[in-house]
Amino acid sequence: MDKIASRAFPAFAIGFAAYYAPAYSFTGATSAFTWPLFTYFPEINEWRWGLVAGNDTIGPPMWWYGWIASAALVGLVCAIIASLLPERATEKLWASSIWIVPIAAFAFLWNWERVWFGL
Amino acid sequence: MPITFLLVLHGIFSVFLLGAVTHQFLSVFWPRKPGQSDFVARARGINPGGYVQAIIILYVIEFVLGAILYPTYRVLARPPLQDLQLTYVIGLFEVKENFAAIVLAMLPSYWYFWKRYPDYKTTRAALTAILFATVWYDMIAGHLVNNARGLL
Repeated sequence: MDKIASRAFPAFAIGFAAYYAPAYSFTGATSAFTWPLFTYFPEINEWRWGLVAGNDTIGPPMWWYGWIASAALVGLVCAIIASLLPERATEKLWASSIWIVPIAAFAFLWNWERVWFGL
Repeated sequence: MPITFLLVLHGIFSVFLLGAVTHQFLSVFWPRKPGQSDFVARARGINPGGYVQAIIILYVIEFVLGAILYPTYRVLARPPLQDLQLTYVIGLFEVKENFAAIVLAMLPSYWYFWKRYPDYKTTRAALTAILFATVWYDMIAGHLVNNARGLL
């Protein structure tokens, strides 16, 4: 269990962050790629598959849950692939990338979110 | 009424989480030296590994409560903020939701490197620092957003 966790847990977080940051940044009502797995419409309490834009009838869309679900799936795939890799050879890679990649994702997101602050 | 109750609960659990993660952060980056016994030194002189499970449980509780409250924010709080062009308030919340999600996915690794794999001290310290910064940012941002436009 521990031997798999040493690669699968970091790989999950890395895959999650690597998908989530561009998913948030590049999702728009007219995006060509369906980044969120589903869309939630809080005004009518309805879930719909994929990327769905809001309108006056169904209210504003919430993609956050869908991004998390998509990113978790990507993370799981990364975890499965990582668990097949040799443990010793990749040990240091996981121990460093588990915090470097999320920090890079934070920086990527922050660069995108500066627009909210007029920066 | 349930939303008010959940929002208060969200605030209370955030205090518990802040306390736990701050104790751990201080003990990792500013450990107590032998002979120090003042109040601040005692706050730093804890066993940081003993806080890991509490931090994970509290973080998950906080995340779930936030996820339940989020639709109410989206419907009731955000439209007036947009109308008032208070985009920086919306931005505070956007950063909060994004950082919170990424850190949630890091929790299994955080547990693993603290509890099962003590060889990598830098990794443990970095994970603790990320958690510390995220939890403090999320609490302050959430507080500011709620001050600008609450959920009631």
